[in-house]
Amino acid sequence: MALLGDFGTTWTKLHDTATGERRILPTREAAAAGLRADLATGHNAKRWARRFVNELIALAEGGERLIGEPEFLVVDVGSRDVKYVHMRNGELAEMDWTATCGALTGFTLELLGKYYNLDYGATEPSPKSVPVTCGVLGMEQLFELVSEGVPVEEAIARFARGIAMNAHRFIGEPSAFYLSGGMCENRLFMRSFPEGVQVTPLGRFVLVEGLAAELDAG
Amino acid sequence: MGRCSRRVGFAGCPPEEVLGPRRGEELIDLDNLVEGVEHRSESLLPRTTCRIIRRILDNALALDLEEIVIDEGYGKCDAARGLAEMLKGLLDIPIIRTQNDTRVGAGTPICDSGLPLIRKIELILDGLVHPAPPSPCTGRGQGDGVPAPPAALWGVPAADFSIYRLFPDGTQVLGWTRCLENRTPADWELEMWVPEGVPTVFFAQTFCPKNVVAAHLARKHDGLHVDVDGALSQPVRAKIEAFLRFRGAWNG
Repeated sequence: MALLGDFGTTWTKLHDTATGERRILPTREAAAAGLRADLATGHNAKRWARRFVNELIALAEGGERLIGEPEFLVVDVGSRDVKYVHMRNGELAEMDWTATCGALTGFTLELLGKYYNLDYGATEPSPKSVPVTCGVLGMEQLFELVSEGVPVEEAIARFARGIAMNAHRFIGEPSAFYLSGGMCENRLFMRSFPEGVQVTPLGRFVLVEGLAAELDAG
Repeated sequence: MGRCSRRVGFAGCPPEEVLGPRRGEELIDLDNLVEGVEHRSESLLPRTTCRIIRRILDNALALDLEEIVIDEGYGKCDAARGLAEMLKGLLDIPIIRTQNDTRVGAGTPICDSGLPLIRKIELILDGLVHPAPPSPCTGRGQGDGVPAPPAALWGVPAADFSIYRLFPDGTQVLGWTRCLENRTPADWELEMWVPEGVPTVFFAQTFCPKNVVAAHLARKHDGLHVDVDGALSQPVRAKIEAFLRFRGAWNG
């Protein structure tokens, strides 16, 4: 019986193995509540966990558990970074993690949605993209578009496409891959990858599944 | 109270005929971290300067040295040669510019030992100031007779030693650090030597030209290339941990 936690930059995902309960709360609330997990991963995990598992290992283990294929590539687009693992027959074929080029992209998209009160489920993707080297620089470009008279929805759609194109390039432009993290729930983002690329969302608990695998392995 | 011996700084791996006669002095390896030193290099060097060159300049400016010996031979980079030029202008002390092109290997028993990696690096670096007795192994240092290491780390000494704690004991030391123990810092053939079948991390300081060859060797040997600017970041730490784990480095 254990509390597993993925303490991300902005969101915390918890799984209580005793009750099976899963919940998501803002990391600031997890901090205020003084939560302490038995096994944890994520940007803030070392402060609040008895045992820490690094994010790439959790992502790989979680992917193994959820996907169940001999070869897969799973990318996690988080609030502040982008990371991926490509596993082949239980071995690591490739991986990377960027906290610079992919910095704050997910967080920025979330902020923009709230600020403009945008329904990402109803926003159409754009064929054009903003060159998003990081969230902050991408936002500068986005506001430039708005000032030029481009409608906000279209500007944000270009921004989302920029993030998606960046993430796709970062993972080596595969024709199919699995997506982990909060962006799985962003329909605009999910539809902003290049045409023909098969993106399978795994949801927000992939790293937590990896923790469960670690727990099972002892 | 005055100092009884002169305080001499050195950078890189100067030839023994230059360093040896100075061992009676207080020798300080300027490549190494000296706690409390002010970072004056920030205003003097471009932002794209590697952490070790920055550190050498910080130490040189702060430590009240009476002489500096710099290896600026084939084993070093243009930045080291530029730094020697810069120090000549900044400091009113002798700057001894040397080139260490020796090919007579002193052996690599520390690189190939079963010691914890951090201890290996400490011993190799300390060996420049306090050399060990000559090793019976004086070959090319290419791992003759070494039992299978669990992993290997290729590269130069890191600015942040915490990287070494990520590796299992007995991790083999490769690259320029191996050349350093062998006292052949310009031995390109030895620097390029990588044993097959060992999970190897290829490390260079961010902005160091050695990243070109580190990336190339990582592809060639199916290893992991990382570059670090000063302190080890969480992503780089995680990549090394995951690489070692999924390549079975901890299975032994």
